[in-house]
Amino acid sequence: MIQDLLTDKKYLFASGANSELRAQRNLNRRAVLLNGALVGNVRTEQFGVSARVYENGVYGFSSTAEYTDETVKAVLQAASENAAFLARHAGKGKGPHKAMAPGSSRTAYDLNDVEQRTYIEFIQALDSYIAGKYPDLVSRTVIATADSMEKLLCVSNGTDGHSVLPRSYIYVVMTVAGADGKPVELFKVIGGGYGTFDRNFSKPESYYAEIDKLYEDLRQKAEGVYPEAGNKTVILGGILSGMLAHEAVGHTVEADLVLGGSVAGPNLNKRVGSELVNLVDYAHTALGKPTPLPIYVDDEGTAATDAVLIKDGILVGYMNNRESAERFNMVPTGNARAYLFSDEPLIRMRNTAVLPGTSKLEDMIASIDDGYYLLDTNNGQADTTGEFMFGVTFGYEIKKGKLGRALLDTTISGVAFDMLKTVDMVSDEMIWASSGMCGKKQPMPVGMGGPALKCRVTIGGR
Amino acid sequence: MIESLKKTAQAAVAALQTAGADKAQANVAYTVTHEFNVDGGEFSLFRTLFDKQLAMTAIQGGKKGTVAQNRYDEKTIEESAKACLEAAASAQPDENWDLAPVSENEDFVQGEPTPDTDKLFDRCRELMADIQARFPKIMMEQMIVSHKEIMKAKANSYGVLYSTHEGLYSVDLLFSAHEGDKASSFFGSGVVTDSLDRPFMELGSIEKDLKDVENQIETTGVSGKFEGTMVVMPGCLASLFYSLLSDFAGEGGLLSGTSPWKDRLGEKVADERITLSLAPLDERIVCGERTTGEGFRAENFDVIQNGRLNAFALGLYAANKLKLPRGKNDSFNMVVAPGDTSIDQIIASIDKGILVGRFSGGQPSSNGDFSGVAKNSFLIENGKIGPALSETMISGNMADMLNRLRAVSSEQVADGMMVLPYMAFDGITISGK
Repeated sequence: MIQDLLTDKKYLFASGANSELRAQRNLNRRAVLLNGALVGNVRTEQFGVSARVYENGVYGFSSTAEYTDETVKAVLQAASENAAFLARHAGKGKGPHKAMAPGSSRTAYDLNDVEQRTYIEFIQALDSYIAGKYPDLVSRTVIATADSMEKLLCVSNGTDGHSVLPRSYIYVVMTVAGADGKPVELFKVIGGGYGTFDRNFSKPESYYAEIDKLYEDLRQKAEGVYPEAGNKTVILGGILSGMLAHEAVGHTVEADLVLGGSVAGPNLNKRVGSELVNLVDYAHTALGKPTPLPIYVDDEGTAATDAVLIKDGILVGYMNNRESAERFNMVPTGNARAYLFSDEPLIRMRNTAVLPGTSKLEDMIASIDDGYYLLDTNNGQADTTGEFMFGVTFGYEIKKGKLGRALLDTTISGVAFDMLKTVDMVSDEMIWASSGMCGKKQPMPVGMGGPALKCRVTIGGR
Repeated sequence: MIESLKKTAQAAVAALQTAGADKAQANVAYTVTHEFNVDGGEFSLFRTLFDKQLAMTAIQGGKKGTVAQNRYDEKTIEESAKACLEAAASAQPDENWDLAPVSENEDFVQGEPTPDTDKLFDRCRELMADIQARFPKIMMEQMIVSHKEIMKAKANSYGVLYSTHEGLYSVDLLFSAHEGDKASSFFGSGVVTDSLDRPFMELGSIEKDLKDVENQIETTGVSGKFEGTMVVMPGCLASLFYSLLSDFAGEGGLLSGTSPWKDRLGEKVADERITLSLAPLDERIVCGERTTGEGFRAENFDVIQNGRLNAFALGLYAANKLKLPRGKNDSFNMVVAPGDTSIDQIIASIDKGILVGRFSGGQPSSNGDFSGVAKNSFLIENGKIGPALSETMISGNMADMLNRLRAVSSEQVADGMMVLPYMAFDGITISGK
C-alpha cells in the first residue's frame, strides 16, 4: 500500500485555490504465446506523485517519479507556479470550485502482485489444449494480462481517498483458412474482470468449453458470408450495445466534448432515442450489483454517483468534472479520472450502459424477416456528431425470423441520435465488458454494457 | 546527466549478469515535459512533468524476461534484476532471442533539447489568434502544445553503449467547424518540430486541414453503391499504411503466418510507382530514432521499392525465428516517394470518386479486407472536388489496392513524423445509406 506522505502537506494548500495531491502506482503484467512461442513476457510499474492547482479559472500541474516528503512539496510548488503563470496570461477571473463536504473513501482490496510464472503456466495450459485439439488452426495466440491502479488522493475541497482498481483477463485469438484460402480470425475474452489474476483464474480446464465455442464460431465464420450492404434491421448484441453506449453516445455527452462542440450541446432535454432507450454511466453499483470496474471517488475528490444520461429517450445530462458541472449548472458525479500519476484528471466514463428492457431475445429474432444479429466487435469509433462506426467480427443472418449463416468481418455505421430513435425492442438481459481501454489523450480502463437492441443501422457488406 | 545515465545503464546490465543473465540489456531515460492545453477554445492547463524510465531485459538459457519501471536507484536496479530473471525463468527456451552486437558506440544529440517556454506559449497564442481570425467557424476542442526533453542511455552485455539527448516541440489539434446547430466531423492535425522559428500555422498540413474542415459543415450522402477512385490525403494514408506494415510486413502477420506477403520477399506486390520507406534518419523527420530497441544503430530502409517487396519490418527475434533479414529500424517514420503529377491534375483526371481525409474503420482483416466510414471526405465528380460527404462507406482490399494505383502526387506533406503524398487508387467500393 502506498505510504501516506500527502495528508500532512495539506497545510501547504493555498487559500483561494483548489489543490490536489495524488500518489499513484500502476502495475501491468503481460504474457503472450503466439503459436506456442512466448513472444511477450513483460512486467511494468509506474509510480510517482502529482499536484494540481486551480486558480483564476486555469490549472497548473506537475509530477515527478520520486515520492518523498521533499518531492511532494516540490510538485505542489511547481503546480502553483504553473497555475500562476497561466492565470497571469489567460486567467478567467473565476474563484475556486464550489465547496464540497469533506469526506474519506477507502477501497478494501488486497492487491496481490502475482508472479510472472503464474500467468505463463496458465496460458501454456490453455495453449496446449488448443494446439492438441485444433491442429488445423493457421495461427493461435493466447494472452494473459493484468493491470491495476492504486491511488492515494488528498484534496483541499472534497473527499480524500485510497482506491485500488485491479483487473485481469485472458484473450484467445484463433485463425483458420477461409473458403478462398485467406485467413479468417476470431478472438474472445475468456473469463476475468475486476480483480487480480489469482482471484479470477484458478483452473485452466474451466475455460475449455469457452475455447471450444470460440473454435466452433470461427468454423462457422470461415464458411460465412458478407452481409448485403445497406440500411438494415439488426439486433445488436449486448457487447455491441455497450460499445454504442460508450463510443457513440458516451463520448458526445462528456462535458468537455460538449464544450468542444459535440452534438449533445443543442440536444439537451430533447428526444434523442425512442422511449425504450435509457442510458446511465454507473459509478460502483448497477442494477443491484457491483459494476465491472467500481469507482467510489474520482481524482478531484468528488464522491462518485451515477450519471443519468438518457431517460426514456430524452437526453437529460452530461458527464462532468467540477469545473464543467458549474458551467452547466449540473451536479458533478465523479467522472474526473487520471490514468497515471503524471496524468491530469479528464472527464472519463466509468461503467456506461444501455438499460435492459422487457423483450425476450428469441422474440426479437422472430420479429425480423430479413436482417442480422450482430454479436461481437473488435473496434469502435465515433464522431462528436454522433456518427459511429463499429467493426463487427461475428454475427448471423436473420431470415424469416430464424438465424441463418454466420457473417464474415463487416462494419456498421449510423448516427447515434438518429439510430436510437429506431430502437423498437430491448431485451431483458445485460452483458457487460470491461477489458477495454478507452483512448482520450490518456488511456483508461472502462466498463460498458447493454441488452440486445433491435434497430436499424447501415451495414457495410463488401 | 547523460554520463550518469550511461553509468546507470551499465550498472543495470551488470546487475542482470550478477543475477545470472547470459545476455542483458538496459534502457534508462529521464524526461522533462512542458505542456500547454487549450480546451473548448480556452487555455486550461500548464503542466511540467519529470519522469524516469528503466527497462531491463535478461536472456538466460534462451529464456527472456523484461521488467520496466520509473525508478533507477541502486535498490530498484537490484530488485528489478532479480524480478527480470524470475520472469525469464518462467519462459520456455527459444534460441532466437538475442541482442545487438557492439558496433561503433556514439552519443547522439538532436533537435532542441532546451525549451523556450515563453516563446512556445507565444506561438500557441499566435495560432489561436490566427485560427480565430482566418477560420472563424472552427471550434477548437483541444490543443496540446508541448516540449519534451529526453535524455536516454542504452547498454547491453555485448558492450553496446549509446546515449541520446534530444528535444522536440509538438502541436496536436482536435477541432470541428460549426455554423448554427450544424457541425462538421472532428478532425485531428499535428506536427512535431525542433524549431519555433515559424508560426505553427505554416507547419505540416495544419492550415489546409482547418480550411478543409470549414468546408465540411454542409454534407451530402452518396446514393447507392459504385466503384470509383479513392484519393487518400497524406494524413489518412498514414493510418492505412500503418495497418499494412503491421499485418503484411510486420512481426504480427509474419510470426502468426497470416500475412499475405509471407512468401513474397523480392516479388512485385504493388504498382512499380510505389516506394515506401521507414526512414528515421531522413532530414525531414524530427528526432527520429538513432538506435533500435535491440541496440542496433538505426538505418533507413525500403519496405516496398518500386513496387517490389524489399524488406520486412522485423525485430531481431522474429528475423532469427523466420530466418529472414531484420528490419533496419523500429520506427514508423514512413516516407513515400512522390510521383510526377500534381494533386490538382490527379483530381482533374477522375470521373467519379472520393477524396478521403480520415478513415474510421475496423482494424483491416489480416487478409487485407477493409471497410469503414469515409470521414472528413469530399465527393469527386467530373474532375472536380464536390460537396463534403457524410454516412459514406468505403471498402476494398489493401493488397489489391496497391496494384490499382492511379497516381501518386508530386506534393508531399512533412509533419516531422512522416513524409507522405496524396495517393489515388481505383476500384474502391463507395456506398451510401
